[in-house]
Amino acid sequence: MKLHFFLLLPVCIAMADLHAQSIGEGIEDERALYAETKQVNQFLRRFNGEENVQGERYYPEDRQYHNRRLRKKYLPILFNLENDILTQELKEEFIDLVTDRKDPKYLAFHGGDWIAELKTLFTHKGQDKEMTLFLKLQEEKVGSKWIIDHIYFEPFTRAFNPPDTNIFNDKEFLHPLSHEVGFMNIFRLFNKPDSLEYYAAKNYTPDYLTLFLYEIKKGNLKFKTVAGLKFHFFQIDDWYFELSYFNRSGYNTGWLISNLMKIGPEDKKILMKYIYHE
Amino acid sequence: MKRISYILMLFIGFGLTQTLSAQDEITPERKRAIDSLAMEKIRDLGKYISIIGSKETPFSEAKRVIDRTLELFVDDAQMGVSSLSREEIKYYPVREYLERLMLLNYDNVTIQWFNIQYISDLELQPDGKYVGVITIYQRFEGTSDDGLVYKDTTKKDITVYVERKETQIGGKLIGFWDVLLGDVRVIETMK
Repeated sequence: MKLHFFLLLPVCIAMADLHAQSIGEGIEDERALYAETKQVNQFLRRFNGEENVQGERYYPEDRQYHNRRLRKKYLPILFNLENDILTQELKEEFIDLVTDRKDPKYLAFHGGDWIAELKTLFTHKGQDKEMTLFLKLQEEKVGSKWIIDHIYFEPFTRAFNPPDTNIFNDKEFLHPLSHEVGFMNIFRLFNKPDSLEYYAAKNYTPDYLTLFLYEIKKGNLKFKTVAGLKFHFFQIDDWYFELSYFNRSGYNTGWLISNLMKIGPEDKKILMKYIYHE
Repeated sequence: MKRISYILMLFIGFGLTQTLSAQDEITPERKRAIDSLAMEKIRDLGKYISIIGSKETPFSEAKRVIDRTLELFVDDAQMGVSSLSREEIKYYPVREYLERLMLLNYDNVTIQWFNIQYISDLELQPDGKYVGVITIYQRFEGTSDDGLVYKDTTKKDITVYVERKETQIGGKLIGFWDVLLGDVRVIETMK
């Protein structure tokens, strides 16, 4: 893996060299800054072959726009090269697929099928707690905006853990003639909060986003700060990749692919559940 | 005065006399002109930060430059700062950030800007304004009287709002693009 990084290093440095300018002793830094994939926007442009090595944008009318050779050069350095889980074979298969001569694949900002996973800190009952927000880009009548689509908050999930079926399965119910006694027996539900879910519909699932909004409105959750961000991409059919920011020294930095998987339609659902902690 | 010069630049750049519309397409040529206008504001920001941070700048002058700097920003813009040791963001209103810079306890401060920038695409927001992000890098070096040197390089991701406006000149409605800076994400980069 390390060997492969050094093979790619000349590409990174070549990108940087073109514009390296010295400010005192900063030339090494400056090369690295050129090589860095500075924004998600730049990741998309480099992935698609929509900018030259100086970082200047290509437009559809430019000859080099989506140039296959350019993409072949960029794509290998858009992976986190310090991750041994990303095998060379898998990366090559992915690169070959997206740069296929007849049917190349591109990423699109407005293409859907990508989500942001934002780690945040909230104060909850006097303690700092991590909250994960999942955001999606939503198209509007005019323009677009990011919206909160899901949340993961451990205290919420814990509170709604499915009750132990062995204990409650055949004991916790409102009998079918409860209506004839004016549901006076309903008081029993509330004596056992742990099994309350058994009195809800079969297909009931807790809506944590509503709970999150409610707790904020009631002042029980207070936003503190953001603490980390990554993205999950499903835009390339049968593939999933994760995009993370690497703030480190060297030429393989910025927004890079940190995980890559070949997936089937069923796997996507499983993976989404995993990402959402469901 | 500065704002007038920006506006004039855009008139010259585009010769626009169209009616205002949120849906105005930004062609590559127009995008390039808006980019250079935004970069002019970023360069002003860089210049102002260097003046504010310099120990040679008198207090009254630094205060005046802070006011000028704030004119570059939309109201309520925040600086979100994280360090290598702490990924969590600390928020500062722009004025507070600049005042802290002014009051830094170093005898000598050098702020240099790398000649590197990355300009994102402009995206249309639901309110009809366009938004983009420009990434720049800054090197800070502060020396205290006992010779201790603090150095860092920060990446600054600066939000840029681009709005189509119109004004009346000689009874004629003239459209132009105005650029203001918004929230700035400041990340300490690996040295």
